[in-house]
Amino acid sequence: MSETTSNENDYGFLIDASRCIDCRACLVACSVQNETPMETTRIWIKETGVTGQFPDLERYSAPYHCMHCEDPSCLSACTVGALQKGENGIVTYDQDRCIGCRYCMYACPFQVPNYEWKQQLPLIVKCDMCISRLGEGESEPACAATCPTDAIIFGRKSEMLAEAHRRIEENPGKYIDHVYGEHENGGTATFYVSPAPFEDLGFPSAGEMSPAYSNRLVTHGTPTVAGAVAVGLSSIYLTIKHHEEAMEALKNGSTHEADNAADEETQVAAQEAA
Amino acid sequence: MMIKKIIDEIKSLSVGYYILAVIAAAGMSVAAYRLYAGLGATTNLSKAFPWGIWISFDLSTVAFSGGAFTLAALVYVFHLHDLHPAVRPTVLAGLIGYSSVLLILFMDLGRWDRFYHFLIYPNLNSALFEVSWCIMLYSTILVYELSPALLENSRWSGLIKVVEKWTIPMVIAGVTLSTLHQSSLGTLFVVMSPRVHPLWYSMLLPVFFLISSLAAGLAMVVGGATLSYWIFKRTLPENIVAELGWFIPWILGVYLVLKLGELEITDELHLLFTSGVYSALFITELIIGVVIPIVLFSIKRLRHSRVASLVGALFVLGGVVLNRFNTSWFTIKPVAGQTYAPSWMEVAILIGVAATAVLAYSLIAHYFPLFEETVRVKRQSKVRRELAHTGD
Repeated sequence: MSETTSNENDYGFLIDASRCIDCRACLVACSVQNETPMETTRIWIKETGVTGQFPDLERYSAPYHCMHCEDPSCLSACTVGALQKGENGIVTYDQDRCIGCRYCMYACPFQVPNYEWKQQLPLIVKCDMCISRLGEGESEPACAATCPTDAIIFGRKSEMLAEAHRRIEENPGKYIDHVYGEHENGGTATFYVSPAPFEDLGFPSAGEMSPAYSNRLVTHGTPTVAGAVAVGLSSIYLTIKHHEEAMEALKNGSTHEADNAADEETQVAAQEAA
Repeated sequence: MMIKKIIDEIKSLSVGYYILAVIAAAGMSVAAYRLYAGLGATTNLSKAFPWGIWISFDLSTVAFSGGAFTLAALVYVFHLHDLHPAVRPTVLAGLIGYSSVLLILFMDLGRWDRFYHFLIYPNLNSALFEVSWCIMLYSTILVYELSPALLENSRWSGLIKVVEKWTIPMVIAGVTLSTLHQSSLGTLFVVMSPRVHPLWYSMLLPVFFLISSLAAGLAMVVGGATLSYWIFKRTLPENIVAELGWFIPWILGVYLVLKLGELEITDELHLLFTSGVYSALFITELIIGVVIPIVLFSIKRLRHSRVASLVGALFVLGGVVLNRFNTSWFTIKPVAGQTYAPSWMEVAILIGVAATAVLAYSLIAHYFPLFEETVRVKRQSKVRRELAHTGD
């Protein structure tokens, strides 16, 4: 039950860890394109470290950036709605709205949003698929355009997912049988294939349901809870008040009754006497 | 003339005020530097731990300040008028508590220059958005609830009648807002579930936070009665303190059943014994904050003892603080082995704000009729009768 559903115009990435040579040209391209310092690029490298026995050594790496979830946790977290799901499924960040509460950084299961820690008035740093570049008519973001080995490719999301599965099926034994990003956090727009297990690459293991869903279950209940509490409290106040007044009336009334009873007794006594 | 009067007045204050003022001023200087220099230069916050001790402080302080709404509900909604003498001191404590939280939240905003954006850019799905609004509105209501004390000896005392006319609707609005934000502070961690330890994560987090804030709020009133007995020489009648203490085991009992029941339902009960240091933290939290206070406040003789009720209240509050720190800091899953400990400036700002809070409370208690309905402590007096209400 995701609030934002994907459609056929959505963009997506396919990232192949078997092709990445850790040249970091994508980091430079991102830095130049988005005019950010290298230490706060919107893309970085995850890697396995060197594994295996000499001479059969292995090392895998993969570029890593915002996954552009179908139901992004950061959207649910952001106090001021600076994070939005834009056209083509791009998760955008409005730096003019951001108040710097950093809730999105904690909410993101992929630990993607970064922060300009060294700035006096810092902002969040996050991939937006080079949305301005795409708007200028370019066909792909800077990282995908720059990658010399086509480890990052960019296109329609459905095509990227199909290509990911095709690579796994047509190359038995080359990749582990898992397209990372297909189901993670309720589905994303970034798909990874890798010869090494994703936990070895340092990828977080995200559940198949976005916590944004659980969050909505609770936050959407707010008006109901508010109404119920306000009505409940009013009814308790009025009930007790009513009860207190009734007791008061009863106390006064019963004095009357006692008087009446006394009167009747005198009357009965008078009649008997007569 | 006026200035001379003020200077004389300041000179007449005791040395405690001066000490607090110096600590507060030092803290505020660090705070000013933090606002100028940015978060990276002044805190140990990082990408792996974007929130730190400030958020844990906020969560604990809001829970403590729950006394104001708990008491208002008991006195005005449930008609427990005997508790009325506690209202003013508690409402002021709540207001000062929320003000400290607002100050620290301001420190925590990277773009503090845009703090007002939550007013104009709503995100109805965000727990933090809801918390911000509720805290703002509720602080206003606390000022309203406190205003009779501020107006009483002033030339505007005629306004008190107008204020009191609307007390009940305002209290109901205040309790509703408190229910919302006390629970929403728990909701904060729902969307963060991948980072929260399963012993603490639950869809019931909002309920846990709400119930524990009720207990913490009552504990503040109970403990505060003994503290003001010592500090301000004014306090609540002993039977009222005991009456408040009577509620605590019931509230904590519900809390304990829900906490353990939730673990049982989600099949996580085994984590109580298999999560190493996390198990220890969880069990410590429940023993200090729940089991011990249930036992202490269940014993009538202890409920009526000033020292014992203070000890019991401190256990409740200690448990709530540990719970909030556990949820928001101690048990947050580290990323890439990175951990967090606050910088000296983060701690200095907290101490400064705390000193400011105590100073503000003491000054208001000094100049305004806060404890009018409470009983004056006369230690020499052997006549028990003199402890009777001075107000009403």
